[in-house]
Amino acid sequence: MSAVQARPLTGDQLIVVPYRKVSAGALATNVILILLGCFFLLPMLWMLFASIDSNPDWAIKIPSPTFANFADVLGRADAISSFRSSLILAGTTTVLTTVLALLSAYPLSRMHIPFKRSFMLVILFASGLPVSMLVVPVYQMYVYLGWLDSLYTTALFLAASSLPFAVWLMKNFIDAVPVELEHAAAIDGASTFRILRQVVLPLTVPGIAVTAIYTFINAWGAFIIPFVLTYSPDNQPGPVEIYNFMGSHGLFKFGELAVFSLLFSIPVIVLYLFMSRYFSGAFNFGGAVK
Amino acid sequence: MAVAGTLGPRLDRERFQWSSLLMLAPGLALLGGLFLGPVLYAFYIGFTNLALVGSRSRDYSFTGLENVTRMLGDYVFVKSSWLTILFVVGSAIVGQSVLGMLLAILLRNAVVPIRVVVGSVVIVAWVLPEITVALIWYAFSQAGGTLSILLGHTSSNYLVLVPMLIVSVANLWRNVAFSMLVFSAGLRNLPSEVLEAAEVEGASVWRRYRLVILPLLRPTIVTNLLLVTILNLSEFTLIYAMTQGGPGIETTTLPIYVYQEAFVFHQLGYGTAISLVLVLIGAIFSLLFVRASRSQV
Amino acid sequence: MLSEVRFEGVHKIFGTENAVEDLNLTVNAGEFLVLVGPSGCGKTTTLRMLAGLERPSYGRILIGGKLVNNVSPRFRDVAMVFQSYALYPHMNVYDNLAFGMRARGAANDHVGRRVRETAEVLGLGHLLKRRPSELSGGQRQRVALGRALIRQPQVFLMDEPLSNLDAGLRVQMRAELSRLHQRFRVTTVYVTHDQVEAMTMGDRIAVMNAGRLQQVDAPETLYDNPANLFVAGFIGSPRMNFVPGKLTSANGRSSVTFLGITTPLSTGARLTAGADDSEVTVGIRPEDLMWRPAAGPDCTLTLAATVDVVEPMGHEAYVTALCAGETVTSRFPPRSGVRTQERVELALNPARLHLFDAQSGMTILQRPQAAGVDTLRSVGEARTNDSARGRSERQGEPEARGATTRSEEIS
Repeated sequence: MSAVQARPLTGDQLIVVPYRKVSAGALATNVILILLGCFFLLPMLWMLFASIDSNPDWAIKIPSPTFANFADVLGRADAISSFRSSLILAGTTTVLTTVLALLSAYPLSRMHIPFKRSFMLVILFASGLPVSMLVVPVYQMYVYLGWLDSLYTTALFLAASSLPFAVWLMKNFIDAVPVELEHAAAIDGASTFRILRQVVLPLTVPGIAVTAIYTFINAWGAFIIPFVLTYSPDNQPGPVEIYNFMGSHGLFKFGELAVFSLLFSIPVIVLYLFMSRYFSGAFNFGGAVK
Repeated sequence: MAVAGTLGPRLDRERFQWSSLLMLAPGLALLGGLFLGPVLYAFYIGFTNLALVGSRSRDYSFTGLENVTRMLGDYVFVKSSWLTILFVVGSAIVGQSVLGMLLAILLRNAVVPIRVVVGSVVIVAWVLPEITVALIWYAFSQAGGTLSILLGHTSSNYLVLVPMLIVSVANLWRNVAFSMLVFSAGLRNLPSEVLEAAEVEGASVWRRYRLVILPLLRPTIVTNLLLVTILNLSEFTLIYAMTQGGPGIETTTLPIYVYQEAFVFHQLGYGTAISLVLVLIGAIFSLLFVRASRSQV
Repeated sequence: MLSEVRFEGVHKIFGTENAVEDLNLTVNAGEFLVLVGPSGCGKTTTLRMLAGLERPSYGRILIGGKLVNNVSPRFRDVAMVFQSYALYPHMNVYDNLAFGMRARGAANDHVGRRVRETAEVLGLGHLLKRRPSELSGGQRQRVALGRALIRQPQVFLMDEPLSNLDAGLRVQMRAELSRLHQRFRVTTVYVTHDQVEAMTMGDRIAVMNAGRLQQVDAPETLYDNPANLFVAGFIGSPRMNFVPGKLTSANGRSSVTFLGITTPLSTGARLTAGADDSEVTVGIRPEDLMWRPAAGPDCTLTLAATVDVVEPMGHEAYVTALCAGETVTSRFPPRSGVRTQERVELALNPARLHLFDAQSGMTILQRPQAAGVDTLRSVGEARTNDSARGRSERQGEPEARGATTRSEEIS
């Protein structure tokens, strides 16, 4: 040891940590990310700035602040009613989808059901079918049943179309609850109902939250279904109202349009933030396709 | 089994529990009534001359392959199919997946504040309702909008000049977060020992990604491509709200053509037939991807 | 309440796999029975069938004389400790312990009293408000145990309950489980793959392999008189040596030839099968194959061997040696000083040989047993006797050690 230390180190014996090279790469990474961030931020900024600008146009510019746009939108009966419609539509869809998905996912996850594998594949396939394909037959059915222009029957179809994916999502969450806990509870003498209520349900709460919020966000933004299945002005949900607004006043009322979309976007952003801490697992598709 | 013969019937045959049917029943009823029913009905309507209004709305009939022959001679349908494939391949398969992968990799290596801010902005773009995205990109690409100012041609309306490009970019802008999240999860789940081994062996960053990380991510990539293709094939709201398929038919992808044929030109039968083509395209893509994931793994 | 458990001709088939084949086994009331075997031998399946988590494909299972084949786990009145503990992660320790009693509709104050009593017995009193995620591995193990204890069931089922603990804690919990069984004396079926757990805890041990029950006996019987090659090889560490041999007979007395030597069978042992000139497998436990300088006067046979590997263990050393073309393992005293390639003399007591039929692998030599071991004993008594004898055997060791040091001085 001492012999090694006694020898003076020459320059090429020093281990040079390539610190500068690493930092150049890191710098490039962060700069590229900032540029990409701007690409994503810029279009959004227009909505933010125009909503509080007394004289907005299509371009992003420093606003001359005013809350007149907000006052205008909140004073419009059609805007308020579209929020009400969206809430009914998305709320009903979410409750229906979540309850039915939970009820269906449990037996699919745990119980012996003939042809279960094929059934799950059909469900997965169904969740990929384009809504455009269903619009016409559903419209025909609704005409026949006299179900057109009702928020609740529209929600029923939205629930049906979001159910396959919701079942699939929920089943993955229930699969992740160790079955041994249910065995332990059964040996402990608990009835099936007690096991569901006190063991399975509390442990599935994250899954229920994710499924519900995911369904709500989709139903809140749903456009073509209510566009086709409802017609009276009172029943138009937010997206359809904004679309009509763009068509009729788009070129003149930038401010109100921006405020309307902004207000309409806030609920789903807030919900997403709630959900995000549970959500990372939901994107773990790894080898979902085999 | 030798024992099976001597011991009589098995005592542990799986029993079907009626309670499972009870729990499945409501979901099955809804799916059967409002999903499976319409799907089967669509296959029927697609081969009829059903119309939205007029005598054909009540008195329609099965027309065999008439809708198919009509499609083959329909200039708009051919153009529309081409636009759909352009949209899916350009915006979804190439754009969304490549940018999503790039973001996932860059965010992994970025400093924390940039990671949080950029990551959040990308995700907010995805969470925004489609109609909002349509509106802000409409504004962004108008004459006098931010894009025209950035490019120095304030009088150019890019939604008219390059409509397909703009809607593709808007769609990419909205959906990239999905692929980013899928790839981030995939990268997080890679076995860290393998990555460390590659690093210890002195592989450059580029080689590490090309020879180790991307091959390991292969199942994730295939799954992402499959989901992204299926989701984007049926994209309607964003394009329709921005352009209604115009100018002319420059952005009339198949979902929009389905809607127009059915509810603007009142040809429910023909519109549905077109939607079946959409399903067919989806099935072909899915099959290709599933095959790709099976070979070489 | 002491309940007997009986398996009568029980089979369990998964797909085409016979997980358990024709199991006939009685667990006596109040007994601590250990089910041991390599992984995949069917021991856990057997336990799960007893719990009601699997239904047997054929046969009958009785608890306390009552047929339970079609009784759901809920009504079997058994308690189970899972390998993963299976604690309810969203409940605190108190609620975890109380869950079973509440499910059975016990009154609140009664539940509270029992939870506190049980927590006291297990030293969990100060942890009642914690969630499982806030407990150490050992504490979780105790909660899992407490959840079983609190119910005072007819039968305890334990599925490798100690396998997730580190070595020190495992030894401690082993003793604690034995103590708890002494105290409550509930019929217990304990599954493990660890032969040390089996030997130290079981009143009796049931050895399984490939779905079949191999032997059920008290630990010492199992060790001294393994019924077949599998049991002989599975119980005991290092493994018993197996070498080919041949039976011969001269003037009415049977002899066996192996490793180049021939020895008459000891007078106490009785040959149950095997004709002259038949091929046999001779089993020799490593501790019966001693280093000549350390061997006692009973070791009348001497074998020449060449040392291959020496593995010092601290208190002793395992020596793998080549002897007449066979590789054998022997337990040497520590610091014997032997080296690889050294020629040594090994000593063997002919009374300690095991003989197995070369074809069937079944034992063909009935050896004398310590009195009282083979008959059904009152459990607690036998247990204390055993441990006392264990101690006295171990006390024999210092002598050997002394011999070693002497021999070292000589060399």
